[in-house]
Amino acid sequence: MSKIQDTFLKIGSIDRRWIFLIIAAVVIVPLIFPVGLPIRPTDTTKNVYDSIEKLPAGSKVLLSVEYSPSTRPENHPMTISILRHLFKNNHKVFITCLWPDGQFMAQDAINQVAKQEFNKTYGVDYVFLGFRPGNEAVVKGIVSNLRKLYTVDVYQKKIDEIPLMNGINNFKDFDFLFSSSAGFPGTIEWVQYASDPTGIPMASGVTSIQVNEVMPYVQAGQMVGVLAGMPGAAEYEALINQKGSATSGMDAQSVAHLVIVLFIILGNVSFFIERNRSKKY
Amino acid sequence: MEFSTILGAWVAVFLTLGIFSYLYKDNPFYKFAEHLFVGVSAGYWTAIFFWTQIQPNLFGRLFPAKVYGPDSDTPFIYNLLSFISSSVFPEGGIDKGHDQHFIYLIPLALGMMMLLSLIPSINWFARWGIAYTVGMAAGLRAYGYLNSNVIGQVKGTAVNIFNSSLPFFSLSEPSIFNNMIIIVGTICGLLYFYFSKEHTGILGKASKVGIYFLMISFGASFGFAVMGRISLLIGRFNDLIKFSSTEYYHATIWVLIAVIAILGYASYLEKENKSQIADTDQGSVQEEE
Repeated sequence: MSKIQDTFLKIGSIDRRWIFLIIAAVVIVPLIFPVGLPIRPTDTTKNVYDSIEKLPAGSKVLLSVEYSPSTRPENHPMTISILRHLFKNNHKVFITCLWPDGQFMAQDAINQVAKQEFNKTYGVDYVFLGFRPGNEAVVKGIVSNLRKLYTVDVYQKKIDEIPLMNGINNFKDFDFLFSSSAGFPGTIEWVQYASDPTGIPMASGVTSIQVNEVMPYVQAGQMVGVLAGMPGAAEYEALINQKGSATSGMDAQSVAHLVIVLFIILGNVSFFIERNRSKKY
Repeated sequence: MEFSTILGAWVAVFLTLGIFSYLYKDNPFYKFAEHLFVGVSAGYWTAIFFWTQIQPNLFGRLFPAKVYGPDSDTPFIYNLLSFISSSVFPEGGIDKGHDQHFIYLIPLALGMMMLLSLIPSINWFARWGIAYTVGMAAGLRAYGYLNSNVIGQVKGTAVNIFNSSLPFFSLSEPSIFNNMIIIVGTICGLLYFYFSKEHTGILGKASKVGIYFLMISFGASFGFAVMGRISLLIGRFNDLIKFSSTEYYHATIWVLIAVIAILGYASYLEKENKSQIADTDQGSVQEEE
């Protein structure tokens, strides 16, 4: 018994760099040799999908991109999948950014989905309004008078000269909002200053770390649904039947979680053995 | 493939591995990558803020092309600014679709006051700009929080426990059991933060239940945080695997070998130095004896 306890104590005092190395290994192996674990969409993801499905063709959807390259693996697959779904259903997409880096992320998604996959026409099928600094003040500006805030689009083309912008003056002129968010300013600001005061339905795709913050808004009906981190993005890819980077990352995610749980159990066992021994002596 | 793309891949691999190398220990690769990231971010944000807000929405409203068209001359100050930087102040005014609004001289003045914080003798001017920003943000947020976080969340918590149309138990759908959990969790969670009475008796028990609810919530947050970090790791590894292909001349493999070799050699030198110092110290002690 004492030998087993000693082994656990040894594991508990292992150099943390070995743990980093093991995590790296368990993440890399499934990425190179995928297992193909099944992905079942959760209710919150299904609700986002159903809300977009229910929109009549030609609906005006505001897509707000608020993330940077640092959270690209989580947020970008969501943006790509949502854009695919919107263009597949022939909706009109208006893209804004509350984060400066979001402009590059949005441009990348537009190049891939709007231009290469769907061959959509700029100014007719979608508009890229770009970034404006000011955090929640920008959201408030879009709600009250979008044209005061955006006189030109991201390519410096005047808004008045873009056909799709005809009749778009404020947030109430949109039918739906999707916020792809990694923090402040983002989803919460859209709920507080746009969706709640106007009643325009909104959904969001957030990083895993934000899920607990955003979930109360979904439960209270202030948002129709949420894509929760990489699993949420993978679930959405499954729903639109177009696999992407989120799906390929889910095997690694699952294996890594199992190993982390194992480490937590081993760490706790070691802690309790050590505590019991120190009590004895 | 273009040379710039390949070079970009090599730089990305080097910076990624530079940051990862911190997991071994603090080293110059990590410091270089970290400093570069901070510097580039600051420069990028400044440029983006200037060209998306200050130039079009501030200067564009003070010197709009609508007013200073081909028929009328621009003022002396504008001509002077245009002489200094014609890209910011193009000839004939700034054409961003704005009308002229001199009220925007106020935000210009407040912004300049904030920059005065760099001059110690008159840095008190910055307080005006900060005061305006803080006041505006407080006013704006008070409304948002009250509407969405207080009223909206209270509405969401005000559920009918004995709604006969609901099933008694369901994991994902609304149910009587879930409604009871919401009410018990909310009340007990709030009682934990009630400090006007000692937490004994019923209040003590209720607040203890509140702690369990909070612990479950923190546990969920921790789980999601771990999931998020693993997702980001997957993202970087995906890129590293992609850049290890022949298309990119095996960038990942070569950079990884170079980083490991240099860090290993530095570590070896460090050990040698330490043992030499230890030997010298031992020698000097023996000589003293």
